[in-house]
Amino acid sequence: MPSLAVSRSVEESLTPQKRRLRSNSTAAPETPISAPTKRKSPRRCLESSPSSHPTVSTRNDSIGPVSNSSKSLAEELSEDFSKKLNWNPSDASQVSAVKEALHVSTSPPTIVCREEEQRRVFDFCKACVEKEQSGSLYVCGCPGTGKSLSMEKVSNQLIKWARDGGFEPPEVLSINCTALTSSSQIFGKIVDNGYVKVKTSGTIAPLQHLQNVYSQKQQSSSSKMLLIIVDELDYLITKDRAVLHDLFMLTTLPFSRCILIGIANAIDLADRFLPKLQSLNCKPLVVTYRAYSKDQILRILQERLMVLPHVVFHPQALELCARKVAAASGDMRKALSVCRSAVEVLEAEVRDSTNNMDSDTQGNSVVKIDHMAAALSKAFRTPVIDTIQSLPQHQQIILCSAVKFFRGGKKDTIVGELNKSYVETCKSRMIPPVGISEFLSMCRVLNDQASNITHPLTQLSFPAFFLIKTSDQNFYSLLLQGLVKLGQSRGDDKLKRVTLTVDEADINFALQGVRFFRNCLQ
Amino acid sequence: MAVQNHARDAQNLLRSRLCNPSFVFKALSGSPDSNYSKLKFILSSSVTEACNNSLLLLGPRGSGKTAVLELVLNDLLEEYPDMISVIRLNGLLHNDDNCAFKEISRQLCVEHHLLFSKMASFDDNSQFLIAMLRECGLAHKTIVFVLEEFDLFAQGKQRLLYSLLDAMQSITSQAAVIGISCRLDADQLLEKRVRSRFSHRKLLFLPPSTEIIERLLQHILLLPMDSTLPNDYATQFNTKLESVLADERFKEILKNYLSSSSTINHLLRFLFVAVSSIDVKSGYPSLDNFKTALSSFRRQPKQECIKDCSILELYILACIRRLESKEQKSYNFNSVMKEYKSIHDQFQTSDDYARNVCLRAFERLLQRDLICFSDNRGQGQSVEFRPVKCLISHFELQEGIKAYRSCPVSCFLHYGFCYSGISLLAGVS
Repeated sequence: MPSLAVSRSVEESLTPQKRRLRSNSTAAPETPISAPTKRKSPRRCLESSPSSHPTVSTRNDSIGPVSNSSKSLAEELSEDFSKKLNWNPSDASQVSAVKEALHVSTSPPTIVCREEEQRRVFDFCKACVEKEQSGSLYVCGCPGTGKSLSMEKVSNQLIKWARDGGFEPPEVLSINCTALTSSSQIFGKIVDNGYVKVKTSGTIAPLQHLQNVYSQKQQSSSSKMLLIIVDELDYLITKDRAVLHDLFMLTTLPFSRCILIGIANAIDLADRFLPKLQSLNCKPLVVTYRAYSKDQILRILQERLMVLPHVVFHPQALELCARKVAAASGDMRKALSVCRSAVEVLEAEVRDSTNNMDSDTQGNSVVKIDHMAAALSKAFRTPVIDTIQSLPQHQQIILCSAVKFFRGGKKDTIVGELNKSYVETCKSRMIPPVGISEFLSMCRVLNDQASNITHPLTQLSFPAFFLIKTSDQNFYSLLLQGLVKLGQSRGDDKLKRVTLTVDEADINFALQGVRFFRNCLQ
Repeated sequence: MAVQNHARDAQNLLRSRLCNPSFVFKALSGSPDSNYSKLKFILSSSVTEACNNSLLLLGPRGSGKTAVLELVLNDLLEEYPDMISVIRLNGLLHNDDNCAFKEISRQLCVEHHLLFSKMASFDDNSQFLIAMLRECGLAHKTIVFVLEEFDLFAQGKQRLLYSLLDAMQSITSQAAVIGISCRLDADQLLEKRVRSRFSHRKLLFLPPSTEIIERLLQHILLLPMDSTLPNDYATQFNTKLESVLADERFKEILKNYLSSSSTINHLLRFLFVAVSSIDVKSGYPSLDNFKTALSSFRRQPKQECIKDCSILELYILACIRRLESKEQKSYNFNSVMKEYKSIHDQFQTSDDYARNVCLRAFERLLQRDLICFSDNRGQGQSVEFRPVKCLISHFELQEGIKAYRSCPVSCFLHYGFCYSGISLLAGVS
């Protein structure tokens, strides 16, 4: 029965992922790690890259027929859904099991929805290992699309395949470029890790050494292939792009034995920054990881929830989450975090109802659409509207007077002029205005809550904001930079330039409930 | 005598309470909807369930973000001793990535009694951090990273944020990252990679509502029955205080004060001044204390300066305003004198003074900082020829002149004359 076999292997591969607690430690751990003194001994970079976890080598992957599992998955989902038990949200262990299944750090045993891309990368690496040739590959895509995760899986697959097929399994080296202090250190890391034989140490630069080694025929013909996975490749981009070039050129040397996989976000990195390689006819193969679509997000979420014995989410709630996240960014991490906060919303609701001794708690045992909607609004909102509504009265008057002042098409002014407008507004509504020093401190408070970077779109003139404003939350939130921007002025405080950086429509919307401000803003 | 001593003790007690943020915010931690309970829930779930969390505390300065976080951390350290270690970083101090990693390693070493070497490189420090996260994860110990001034960490390449948030994605570490910022859009400042790894939880610290303020006032200002003060004094103090708090005028004063800034810090400053102005002889608080506190915060220093000016000085200021209204950007004493003479030629008032008297008045204005020299270049020249600029705005001057005790009508009208553009005096005199 295919469904039973898959679920069993899922369960048994779950347990090695759980953290193994030290048996004899409750307090501070005994530290076999040394404090950061100067060390010369090389360390395996595999352990130090933050995206890998130590159970990589110990876990037996169910590599299995990746393509076949997609068919049986659908059947399984329908079967499992009907026979699962109901979930009890007040049981803490069950809640923590759900949250763990939905956590970003829990890596699923099989990666769904990336089979095509993984196959391409795997075939490329297989060809390189078979022919004992070097090659380079560039993986690109938005954050949260599963690039680093699938590269790990591919490297494991490759090692297993090489062992089974009788080839020499390649050594794997994972480097995250954010951990490098300077971009040329990457060559030092490749040399330091002992994969490339170091004949003379310290006298020549690592890059030169690598180039020397790869340009000559190896003495021992059984040296292993080296699979280098470079994460966050754009940190290596320098003005003269030398490091990036040299890195990819290593694979073009005649006796090179490294397979290079670079991961970054920019789609055109290979075209923009590596034009020389094209002339040498060794441009890296580009694999693009598209952002997840709604169906893919839904599938991944369901796959993750399949390991639980209970029904946790109403199917429509999952669909709402997938739809919203796919429309916004297609980022899987966001979807997982929204689902987790929906579980927390349900948990809080159950806790309140048990506190109030409500008898009808039976209906609340799954996460429904309203919980998901609450979690989505918390994740996607900007706090600007709430903050404007909760500002003290005089600060709201300052914002209104700024709105009125800038309606005439001007973009910025000096504090003295804004003070005039503010005092006029106050006087027209019979409110005593505050003095200039307090006015300045209020402007400073409003400035603190604002941004100091100018997004290129905010340099447009004020009426243009209305034209560009869309209903897409992400794009809109880019325009909202804060409330008021206060410039520098060497001398008099009153000559500081002040700009309004929050959208006028936001202020209108936030203050429309108060009649005073409605009249002000007419 | 005895009452005075008690009053002084009461004052000291109240002042020490007002300066202790954990006491103040304990009052707000009761309700389940407060930021305290939400924060506590998230952090305790991170400790007990060993899941990694990251969140941001946002709110204007002085709204109690750090105070509430410290309260939560102290409570958790009591509840789960030895299971939490706290690493504190500040964006003003540890802006640079190297410096930040060094500081993290140093704090970890101090916490776990290891030797810290100042010679360690950036690489060593970051590997140490990753190793420590793994060890603490295996030992079921949570590391809480508190990043104050979070928006300052988001400048530059954001390497520290990336490493921390990336480390939280791995299954071996058990950590929580809490960012504190006064900028509402702090998470928009993050690069897209870092933002993708950040779970978008934000706790907003909004200014308190009126019920919360009332509860806070009662919590802080009412004397406890079990202190060193005698019971009858304390009860009488409390009854007097409650009658003041229930008074409508007090509510007006409080509303007036909080209309410019309503953070809790602002309120505490007000209460501090009010408590300090309790009359020790009478021994009990009254509404006047709060009134004096309000007026001390609503001072307009420049307008008070105007009140002490002489009539001639007011004339000089009015002449300077006239010159400015005539679009003359730079002026000195001689041009002011010309304007002054032209007024007196036109209107023949009784306030015509000699040049040296006017020069004395001019110098007095300079000393009082109502006008100043516009640049420091002409140090050698005499006062008459150096250009000056006016440091007091049109509104303040107008209010000051209106409030002046015996301002001559002519001066007032001259001042108004330059803005209305209508010859008032032509009709009046």
